[in-house]
Amino acid sequence: ARRLEWRTAYGPGQTRRRGIANQCLCLASCPPVQALRNLRTATWWDEHLSQENVDFLKQQVPEEYNRLTASKINPLKDEPWPRHEWEPGSRRVGLVGVKLGMMPVWTKDGERHVVTMLQVQDCHVIQYISKEEYKSKTAALVVGAKNVSPFYRTEKQMEMFRAAGVPPKQKLSVFKVTDNAIIKPGTPLYAAHFRPGQYVDVTAKTIGKGFQGVMKRYGFGGQPASHGQTKTHRRPGASGPGGDPAKVFKGKKMPGQMGNIYRTTFGLKVWRVNTKYNILYVHGSVPGHRNCLVKVRDTNLPTHCEKNQQPPFPTYFADGDEELPEDLYDEDMFRFGDESISVV
Amino acid sequence: VSTDPQGAVPLRASELPAAATRLSTAELRGLRNDLFSKEQARQRALITRTEKIEVTLEVPGHQGTLLIMNKGLSTPRCCARHLTEWHVNSSALALVDGEPWPMHRPLTQNCSLALLHFKMEDPHHVNKAYWRSCAALLGQVLQNAFKEEFSVELLTSPEVPVTSGAFCCDLVLDSQLDSWVPSEEALRSLTRDAHQLIQQNLPWEPLQVSPSFAIKIFSHSSYKQKEVEERAAESASGLVTLYRCGDHVFVSGGHLVARTGLCSQYDVTAIHNLGQTELGLLRRAQGLSLPVQLEAHHTVWRKLRGRAERLVG
Repeated sequence: ARRLEWRTAYGPGQTRRRGIANQCLCLASCPPVQALRNLRTATWWDEHLSQENVDFLKQQVPEEYNRLTASKINPLKDEPWPRHEWEPGSRRVGLVGVKLGMMPVWTKDGERHVVTMLQVQDCHVIQYISKEEYKSKTAALVVGAKNVSPFYRTEKQMEMFRAAGVPPKQKLSVFKVTDNAIIKPGTPLYAAHFRPGQYVDVTAKTIGKGFQGVMKRYGFGGQPASHGQTKTHRRPGASGPGGDPAKVFKGKKMPGQMGNIYRTTFGLKVWRVNTKYNILYVHGSVPGHRNCLVKVRDTNLPTHCEKNQQPPFPTYFADGDEELPEDLYDEDMFRFGDESISVV
Repeated sequence: VSTDPQGAVPLRASELPAAATRLSTAELRGLRNDLFSKEQARQRALITRTEKIEVTLEVPGHQGTLLIMNKGLSTPRCCARHLTEWHVNSSALALVDGEPWPMHRPLTQNCSLALLHFKMEDPHHVNKAYWRSCAALLGQVLQNAFKEEFSVELLTSPEVPVTSGAFCCDLVLDSQLDSWVPSEEALRSLTRDAHQLIQQNLPWEPLQVSPSFAIKIFSHSSYKQKEVEERAAESASGLVTLYRCGDHVFVSGGHLVARTGLCSQYDVTAIHNLGQTELGLLRRAQGLSLPVQLEAHHTVWRKLRGRAERLVG
């Protein structure tokens, strides 16, 4: 019943957005012209358009996106924001990527590990929120990833993207950053933001399993399949101590919704970075299904703080002086193209 | 008609001698509205006896239906009311014996009637009428938007095709405003005024009058009187069609659609300066509009709007 309340409070057409993303939409500047008529027509975008017009728009929208992104390769052309040096204790922005899949990787000692490939597609900084607006000790940056069609975004969302000068994005994530790491909205972010040897935390929505019983959800033992069990094979069994509390404690593990919630995997090592296709090879597994959007940031774990020192700060800029090779490998990683052992 | 002592050319309101009173925009509007209403009542009173005419419908679904209507009183809208509410609300123009006919003009003889809407295969009559109506609406908005101390003179709007991207309305403002450049906020305010008129769903009432009466109505504007004479010379019957929307009376170059409520998306996009003429600095106000049946997605509308901001015509 509580869940239903949320849905009706937001209205039938809107999706429920947690946290700051909703605030981002409300913070969009320039109020639209109020049409006094009610324009709530339930129709699709190309209903009244001729086939020529539809083809023209389908061809023109990607061209417009290319124009928008091309001009942002050199954000230095117009009043760049100052770039500061990394200090211990600074937090920089993260990336939003697409989970492509997994593959094996070998170390030079011969150990085999698995890595997840995360591709950074069309990642841009959308909005900067100062710490007063964000009502917190640190400022925040909103980052968007993966261009989508403008025909399925509302006017308010389109205004926010237009203010940043970027095409509309599929996912927006908020990153808390220190003041020396703020970046101008509209700047593109690349996979070279992370380097091999750094450690990251990856947050994504886990694969949804729906309403699941207690055995799958919490790994309960269940009951035997035979020997007189009457209609009881996968049930939770007892629900509490008994007469003394005479109640079931809050948080009792019971059947319910499993998956489709945000979870973070901490302390994942970056093994390899491909700068041509913007792919990060990250140790182990990451929540989410293939082609889902994940949020990648520098790790919070204190054990890996030394390895995350002197990163590209505030981010890797493509128009800078650094010339990066196509692939960056961690020093422990075995590369198949390397020369074999030679004896002098 | 205010004339100079020699009784030659009628003077403009701004050229009148100081002794004569210059009417404010609101008073002028009221005066023209009263004259229009009186003439409308007079023309209606000429019909003493109700005679019947036969109207054959050529509406899909009601092909060949015969309606017995009143001569000189029934309009194509009355005929549509005999069908369904959708016919009444969606018909923009009528075709009487193959000729375009405004929805609120009474029928005078036995005829065949077709009702035109925006989603037909061949909507060119409706398109032209719609574009002209939007230009007329823009003119009405501009006439009433400025403060009382600034005079506004609407000129003949050029006939622009729908494919050009925007409809336009030529006007000459007070000479004090020669250096005024309209800001985004000003255009938005004009758009809001236009939406108010659309929301009120006012009909564009046509009235066929003699040229002398039309000259009398526009006695405070010599430009309008010249326009009336030109239209009288062009028309076959020698009569001039005046239109009234709310309380704004004007002359139009052709037929207009039925009601302001047929427009749904309406934006005043730009006001360009065209250059100095003998009347003053000529400006062209442009706008973009789509009717109720052809609304566009906001992304598509934004692209169309980008084109409508460029100078047209």
